[in-house]
Amino acid sequence: METVGVPTQYYQLVAALLFTIGLVGVLVRRSALIIFMSIELMLNAVNLSFVAFSRQHGQMDGQIFVFFVMAVAAAEAGVGLAIILAVFRHKQSVSLQNMNLLKD
Amino acid sequence: MGEAILFTLFSVSAVVFSLGMVFRRNAVHCALHLVGVLLSLSGMFVLLHAQFIAAIQILVYAGAIMVLFLFVVMLLNVRGETPLLTPGAAKGFGFLFAFIVFVELLWVVVSQGGSEAEPAPVRVLPPGFGSPAEIGRILYTTWLFPFEVTSILLMIAVVGAVVLAKRKFA
Repeated sequence: METVGVPTQYYQLVAALLFTIGLVGVLVRRSALIIFMSIELMLNAVNLSFVAFSRQHGQMDGQIFVFFVMAVAAAEAGVGLAIILAVFRHKQSVSLQNMNLLKD
Repeated sequence: MGEAILFTLFSVSAVVFSLGMVFRRNAVHCALHLVGVLLSLSGMFVLLHAQFIAAIQILVYAGAIMVLFLFVVMLLNVRGETPLLTPGAAKGFGFLFAFIVFVELLWVVVSQGGSEAEPAPVRVLPPGFGSPAEIGRILYTTWLFPFEVTSILLMIAVVGAVVLAKRKFA
C-alpha cells in the first residue's frame, strides 16, 4: 500500500484544534455532563494523533494504543456517569457551581 | 487528491461539531454533536489506513459510550443551565489557558518537521497494515500483558459503577 496525500502534520493540526476545543469545554462549562463529553473529545483528539503517527512510521503499535485508550475511556465513562448520578441524587443538580463542600 | 478532499471535509465537520458540542445549551444536542465528531474522526481513521480502528470507533464510541451518555442525560432530565459558562474571572482565565495550550501544541506541530531526530515518513506501508488479522496478531503477542490488565480494569469499572449507582449508598 502506498502512503499518499495529506501529511501527518495536518492531522496533528486538527488533533491540536480538537484537543483545545475540548480543553475550553472542560474549563468554561458548568455542567458536569458536558465536561465529561469534553474529556471524551480530548481523548479522541489524542487518538487521531496516535493513528496519524502510526501511519507515518508504518508501525501498528499506535493503533494498538488507541485500543487501550478506548478501553480506559469506556471504564472512565461508566464510573464517571455513576458518580454524576450519585451526586445528582444528592444535590438535584449537575452544575459544578453547587459542588463546593470542600471549598467553604 | 481524493484523500485531500475527504480530509478537508472530515476535519471541518469534526471542528464544527466539536464547537457545537462545547457551546450548545441542551445536553442532548451536545451529545449528538459529539457523535458527529466521533463519526468524522472515524472517517479520518479510514483515510489513515486504520480501517479496523474506524469500525471500533463507530461500534464502541458512537454506539456504546454515547448511548450511555444519552441515557444518563435523559435520565437526569437536566434543564439547560441559565448561565452557560462559569461566571467571573474563571471564564476568561479558562479561555486564556486554552489559548496558551493551543499555541504550544501549534509550535510543536510546526517545528517537528525541521527536527533532525524525526525519521522520514514511511513511503510504502507493510502489507496488511490496519487489518483485523494484523491487529489481532500484535495485540495477542506483543501487547498481551496490557490487554489482560485492561480486562481487569474493565471489570473493576463495572463493579465500581454498580456500587456507585446503587441507591442505598447515594
